[in-house]
Amino acid sequence: MIGSVVHPRTSASHRSHARRNKRAWALMGILVGVSLLLVAYGYFKAVEWPMLADAVLHTTLRLALAYGIALVIGVSIALLVGWSPFADVFFPLFDILQNLPSFALIPLFIYFFGYTSKMIVIFAVSSIVWPILFAVLTAIKSAHKDLSDAATIFGARGLRRIPYFLAPLSFPAMLTGSIVGIAIGWESVIGAEIITNVAGFGDFIKGASASGVTEDMLAGTFAILVIVFAVNRLIWAPLLSESSKRYAE
Amino acid sequence: MPATHDMLLVLSRVSARFADEGEKGTLALKDISLSVPAGSFVSIIGPSGAGKSTLMRVILGFMPQTSGEIVRNFSRPAMVFQNYALFPWLSALDNVAFGLRMSGVPRKERERIAREKLKEVGLAHLENHYPAALSGGQRQRVGLARALALSPDLLIMDEPFSNLDTITSESLKADLLKIWRTYGMTILMVNHLIPDAIELSDHIIVMSGHPGRIEKTFSIDLPRPRDTRSAHFFRHVDLLTEDIRAIS
Repeated sequence: MIGSVVHPRTSASHRSHARRNKRAWALMGILVGVSLLLVAYGYFKAVEWPMLADAVLHTTLRLALAYGIALVIGVSIALLVGWSPFADVFFPLFDILQNLPSFALIPLFIYFFGYTSKMIVIFAVSSIVWPILFAVLTAIKSAHKDLSDAATIFGARGLRRIPYFLAPLSFPAMLTGSIVGIAIGWESVIGAEIITNVAGFGDFIKGASASGVTEDMLAGTFAILVIVFAVNRLIWAPLLSESSKRYAE
Repeated sequence: MPATHDMLLVLSRVSARFADEGEKGTLALKDISLSVPAGSFVSIIGPSGAGKSTLMRVILGFMPQTSGEIVRNFSRPAMVFQNYALFPWLSALDNVAFGLRMSGVPRKERERIAREKLKEVGLAHLENHYPAALSGGQRQRVGLARALALSPDLLIMDEPFSNLDTITSESLKADLLKIWRTYGMTILMVNHLIPDAIELSDHIIVMSGHPGRIEKTFSIDLPRPRDTRSAHFFRHVDLLTEDIRAIS
């Protein structure tokens, strides 16, 4: 038998990841710095911070809830359809459904759920679910034939194929689908709040722009940017980095 | 070859079609008849597109035959893939233990077996490494250990050396022969290198393509271990090369 050596990954991808990470933190540093300068110069003195915090919190919680529900629904449907022999039948159907413009359907959501927080969450779910579902289903459909055969021959058959093969196989796709889904989710939640006047960040900036109070809008925008950045750096970036290391060819 | 009851695998006039857009699909294999004796090392060689890998898929039941009969006298098949096909989300140890896990073997027991198999292929020190951190040769060894963990009675190998450099493939070949002798399993290997097939095999099946069919079978009667630098060996390589040239 021969001995063998490990080939540690000191590759260019690691260095470029570190560079991207540094750039992102630098950008955030600039953003926070500008905000602090504006605070120091008293630009934000008219901002009603408790009201803004409450609005941002409402919006963020709605988005988090909608994302959680969409993740469960999207991944479950994608795994079941991808596992079944009907993936090719469902794929075009999902394609048509996801192309329906969400905001054109908002009257339907209002009709069924009223001007409520629940309506906004369900509306956001209907937007977030598609990128997650498509990303996972595409990953399953495009799995390398050898990998799929290996799963079969080594026993991942029947329903066991889902947790032991399809779910881990589609993890990177679930991540990218989630990132796109959450970006769409921000728009959906804020947009729905603007349309329905339900308390939240959308309603807050609508009121701020109507009364011409631009510092409220700017403070709100900074607050959302900080949340988006924090979620990206603390959750998605480490997961993406780990996933790209693990799933590298 | 021995009598039919000693055969691990018998194919009689097996044909298979790819289900593509045509009305009937493309004929991939035509009237394949072959017998694989239990415990033998059989190589299938032929040009790209000859249907060698398709034949393996049909034998394993991944692809249905459209006609003909297959007698499968094996119960624990395993496969080593050209592109390794390791699960990237699992460590080397967990990859090797995967089949045992699916068979319901308890964790401690399957990890013990997996460690044993990794040791057999010389990778005991890399059990916690993920496939992305392994070289091609190391990945193929993990793939071999994963197959061996099932104690297979039929090991199918689909061009296992084609992605490896010469030095790595030479050492893997030596280990494979050692493992074959130890386990006494039947090995069916798709290959495209004539010297490799002669060095390793008891029987060689030559296929040609469009549609895939068997052109000729050879029995290699060189004594083992085979001296790949001997005049005898080169004569066999020449004869087989000439035959294949005549076929194509």
